[in-house]
Amino acid sequence: MSNNADTASDTDTRAESINNPTYVESTIIMTTVRLVVPFIFTFGLFVMFHGADSAGGGFQGGVIVASTVLLLAFAFGIDATRRWIEGPLIRTAIATGGGLFILIGLGALINGQFLEYAAYDIGTTGIKYGIELVELGIGAIVSGVLIGLFFTLARGDMLTEGDIDQRSSQEQHGSDRS
Amino acid sequence: MTPIQWGILASVLTLAVVVAAAAVLLYDVLNAIIAFATFSFGVAITWILFAAPDVALTEAAVGAGITTTLLLVTIARTVRQSGDRLLEKVDPRAALTAILFTGLLATTVDNLPAIGSPQSPIATSPITSYYIENAYPETGVENAVTAVLAAYRGFDTLGEATVVIAAGLAVLVILQQEAYA
Repeated sequence: MSNNADTASDTDTRAESINNPTYVESTIIMTTVRLVVPFIFTFGLFVMFHGADSAGGGFQGGVIVASTVLLLAFAFGIDATRRWIEGPLIRTAIATGGGLFILIGLGALINGQFLEYAAYDIGTTGIKYGIELVELGIGAIVSGVLIGLFFTLARGDMLTEGDIDQRSSQEQHGSDRS
Repeated sequence: MTPIQWGILASVLTLAVVVAAAAVLLYDVLNAIIAFATFSFGVAITWILFAAPDVALTEAAVGAGITTTLLLVTIARTVRQSGDRLLEKVDPRAALTAILFTGLLATTVDNLPAIGSPQSPIATSPITSYYIENAYPETGVENAVTAVLAAYRGFDTLGEATVVIAAGLAVLVILQQEAYA
C-alpha cells in the first residue's frame, strides 16, 4: 500500500490506509488526470454558464465540475484531496447556491409572482441573466452535494471502535434491565 | 433518421440490453458496476440520436460518471463478495416476475408513436408549440429546455434543487458525520 504522506507519523499512516484502502499511486493516472482536469473543469463551467444558449445547464455543469474533484481524488488519493478541499468550501457552495435561487425567486415578489423574472423589469436580457444566475446556483448546489457525497461515502461510518463498544454495552444494559 | 443513425441506434440499444442483463447477472459487484456504467453510456448515445442533448449530457455525466464513482467508493468501504463464480444464482420466482413485467411493458410498445413522428402527442400538443414559439421572445434564452426548466417550471426546479440538498444532508445523517470534507 503506497501512501504519499511521508511526514505522517506511524499512527497517522495507519489511519490513512484504513480510511483509504484502495489507493495505489500510479504515474499514468496522475499524469493523465493532471492533463485532463483543467479541460474538464473548463468544460463544466462552460456547460453551466452557457446552458441558456446550448445544451446543458446547472445540473449537468455542476456534475462535470464535481467529477474533476473526484478524478483528483482517484489520482492523488482521497485523503490528500480531502485535505486540499477541507473547510467550509463545500457547504458554503451548497448554501450560496440554494440561497441565490431562493433570493432571485423572492426578489420577484416585489413586483410580481415568485420566480417571475419579468418582474425585475429589465427587459429580455434581464430575464436571461436571472435564468443564468439560477443555473449557476443550481450548479453550485449540485457540484457541492456531489463532492460532499463522495467524501462522506469515502469516509464511511464515523463511528469509531470506542463508540461501537459504548453503544453495544448500552444495549447490553438495556437488555439487562428489561 | 438516416440509415447510419438507425444502425447506430440498433447496435447501441442491443449493447444496452446486453450490459443491463450483465449488470443483473454478474456475481462480482465491481463487474456489475462497470456493466451498469456501460448501460448508461449506451442510453446516453440513444438520447443523442433522439435529438435530446440535454438529457444525453445528464445521462452521461450522472449515470455513467458520478453514479459509477459513488458506487465504486461505496464498495471500497463495504464488503465486496468476489470469488470464482462468474454469474449470480438466479431465483426462478424473481426471474419469472421480471420476465412477466417486461412482457407486460412490451405490450405497450405497439402504442408508442413512431420515432420522430409528427403525429406524436408531444409534437401536436399546444403546450409544445407554445414553448417553441414563445420561449425565445419571452425569456431571451435560446435553449428552450433551459427556458422551461428555469423560467416556466422554475418552481419545480427549486424543488429539484431542494431534493439534491436533502440528499446531501441525508448522507451526513445516515453516516453520522458532521462535515462533508
